Amino acid sequence: MKTAQRLKDVYDVFVIELQRIAADKGVILIFFIATLLYPLIFGAIYKEEAVRRLPIAVVDDSRSDYSRRFTHKLDATPEVDICYCPNTMREAQHLMERRKINGIVYFPPEYATNLAIGRQSNLSLYCDMSSFLYYRSVYSAASATMLDEMETLQRRTYSDKGVAGLDASTKIEPIPFDDVKLFTPSAGFESFLVPALLVMVIHQTLFLGIGILAGTTVEDRRTLEMIPRRLRHKSIYRVSIGRALAYILIYIPVVAVVLFLFPKLFGLPHIGSMGDILLFLLPFMLATIFFCMTTAAFIHHRDSGILTLFFFSIILVFLSGIVWPQEAMPDFWRHFSYIFPSTHGVQGYVRLNSMGAGLRDVRFEYLMLWGLAGFYFITTITLTYLENYRHLKRSELHRRIHLQWTLRQAKK
Amino acid sequence: MKESPFIKVIFRELGRLRRRPRYLIVVTLGIVFSYVFFITLMYDGQPQKLPVAVVDHDASYLSRRLCQELNATQGVKVVAVYDNHMQARKAIQRQDIYAFIEIPEGTYANLLDFKTPHLALYTSNTYLLPGQLSYRSLATICRLASGAVHREILRKQGVDDQAITYAIQPIAIDAHYISNPTANYQPYVLTTVLPGIIGLMAVIFTLYIIGEEQHLSTARHWIKVAQGNIMAALAGKLLPYFLYFSLLTIIGNLILFGPLHYTLQGSFLALSLLSILYIAALQAVAVFIVALVPDMHLSICIGAIYTTLAFTMSGFSFPVTSMPPALQGFSIIFPLRHYYLTYVDIALYDAPFFQGLLHALPLLALCATFFIASLLIYRNYTKTAAMS
Repeated sequence: MKTAQRLKDVYDVFVIELQRIAADKGVILIFFIATLLYPLIFGAIYKEEAVRRLPIAVVDDSRSDYSRRFTHKLDATPEVDICYCPNTMREAQHLMERRKINGIVYFPPEYATNLAIGRQSNLSLYCDMSSFLYYRSVYSAASATMLDEMETLQRRTYSDKGVAGLDASTKIEPIPFDDVKLFTPSAGFESFLVPALLVMVIHQTLFLGIGILAGTTVEDRRTLEMIPRRLRHKSIYRVSIGRALAYILIYIPVVAVVLFLFPKLFGLPHIGSMGDILLFLLPFMLATIFFCMTTAAFIHHRDSGILTLFFFSIILVFLSGIVWPQEAMPDFWRHFSYIFPSTHGVQGYVRLNSMGAGLRDVRFEYLMLWGLAGFYFITTITLTYLENYRHLKRSELHRRIHLQWTLRQAKK
Repeated sequence: MKESPFIKVIFRELGRLRRRPRYLIVVTLGIVFSYVFFITLMYDGQPQKLPVAVVDHDASYLSRRLCQELNATQGVKVVAVYDNHMQARKAIQRQDIYAFIEIPEGTYANLLDFKTPHLALYTSNTYLLPGQLSYRSLATICRLASGAVHREILRKQGVDDQAITYAIQPIAIDAHYISNPTANYQPYVLTTVLPGIIGLMAVIFTLYIIGEEQHLSTARHWIKVAQGNIMAALAGKLLPYFLYFSLLTIIGNLILFGPLHYTLQGSFLALSLLSILYIAALQAVAVFIVALVPDMHLSICIGAIYTTLAFTMSGFSFPVTSMPPALQGFSIIFPLRHYYLTYVDIALYDAPFFQGLLHALPLLALCATFFIASLLIYRNYTKTAAMS
């Protein structure tokens, strides 16, 4: 009987919360439209994965067989596209300043002469540093070409001496190495960033949505209307559980689409086991929901809540360690990042989903999430209880004042 | 003396601000926090000593030497030596390491026999930046190892040093990183993200203060003070915040290009002019959103979605030119995009004053179109209000 009553209480709160969500256009926009819109846009933006065919210029003062061969090889790389061959560095610089090109390769006049007499020769590379990816593409294209051209030259030196084939290889590169890219063979931008952003989308939409709901309630001065009267004392935890269940119910389809369907649709890495990811997402969702409910307790106005906390999304992305590695963070920020479920969520999901790790490999994140879920659950009920208590006291006071006033009126 | 409605609205707004300064204070604190956060987070400029591992099946002089050489680089440090491949793979999955080298059995013996032993280099690009940095360090060490062996052989054959240098590395690239000689990661991110955060705050704040008038039913008073002049009403209301946010952006840039010494080839004046235009364009966009969606709650949600997308669409991390064409056009409506382009022109390439601001022209256009559009919509709005 008692258990049945408790379950009924939770169920009542659950239904009330669902009704509140359904009645709020802003929240519906965030829970259902934003969660689908963001992944679609991110998927489209980063579809190309890498920067290809960046326009560059080659200034060839050497005008030799050597420099032309290098130029041809460079043009053949996927990263760059030689669009201009100006005669002077000044012209090339001008092109760069007008943002027509993202890099310049310069062959000095002595380039070929040096090579011909068997002396090391230099060529200059000027990289556009306005974006990290420009720099990386131009640099890697140039260095890959350099390695290839070096081998050609070395082979020729040896073949002049009558050493060729395998013999020459052994001499030129005595310890060759194979390069294996694990997990994300494309080494691209999308497969690295988007899985993390998907988790952030889940986290941040919940954060905003719950914040807005809390702000609206306070603004409309009906904090307690959503709590059935009999629950207003010690059984306040049922309110928190009921509300959390409502968010979980709503997020089951959202998570299914965002974290399971989108990676497949966009061809992102998805080698993880579904069971492990689901097991991992359970504490993640609980921790996130209770974290949001705890923060929401401090929000007293619907819009100021968004106003003050929204910029935090950007900071959370950087705290999650996906862009800037955790090893390179100052200790203070690394420990600070541990209090946010998003950090562990991103780390865990990326490793489970993209790297095919098992639940055991994300043990730290998994336990931290359970810990955070427990901690934020306690803070949520404490805060709700305090608020409730304050409210009751206030209404008690009002009742007394009203009573005195009526008594005085009656005396008169 | 009769004051103009514009001045009156300004004073009314300042009065409102004095009574409820809380939001502006909170917004300012948020911006200050962001500056402190980003500046301290990436203080080193590039991640260093990233953890990597060695899978050593050989246990020879060569494998030990490789470990020592790896530890001597700035980029990586060897945190573990494993016996088998699976252990290392698991370590990558646990994110204990970002990359590892596998040295097969008999490597050293094979090397001495001229049998070309193969090393294997495994990297994970799931974490792109550390993955690539550690790959670069490992690959460099492997190539140097080859070079060292090559050099030893040639020395023993009595070849002179100049010829050895040619034999090992006939070509060398002399790389110049324009306006960022140390390839510091910080300026890439900070110079765009931080103004982006100020912009985000400015948009949501503008949406808030306009929406608030309708929400608290003070809009009628507001228009009355402006004597029905919607232009004066909007301009007077937004001017204090326009000045405030512009000032914040300029102060922010002073910090970045002052004590932090990021490259600023062009003039600071041009950059400040850009900041002012940027804030104006953002406020215009915010007014446009309010005009389209008068419901304050909804307009703030839309503003939030719009401003977060600005970070991606500005193209500072992933170039806009590599996005699908449809999205490239879409990027025009984000002031942060124009801010970024103009910043690059002014700061990195020292473009002449007016040429540098050429990229900022769209910002001006954005201001104008949005203002005109919203004024039209507002006029309709007041007309219908008057009729009813």
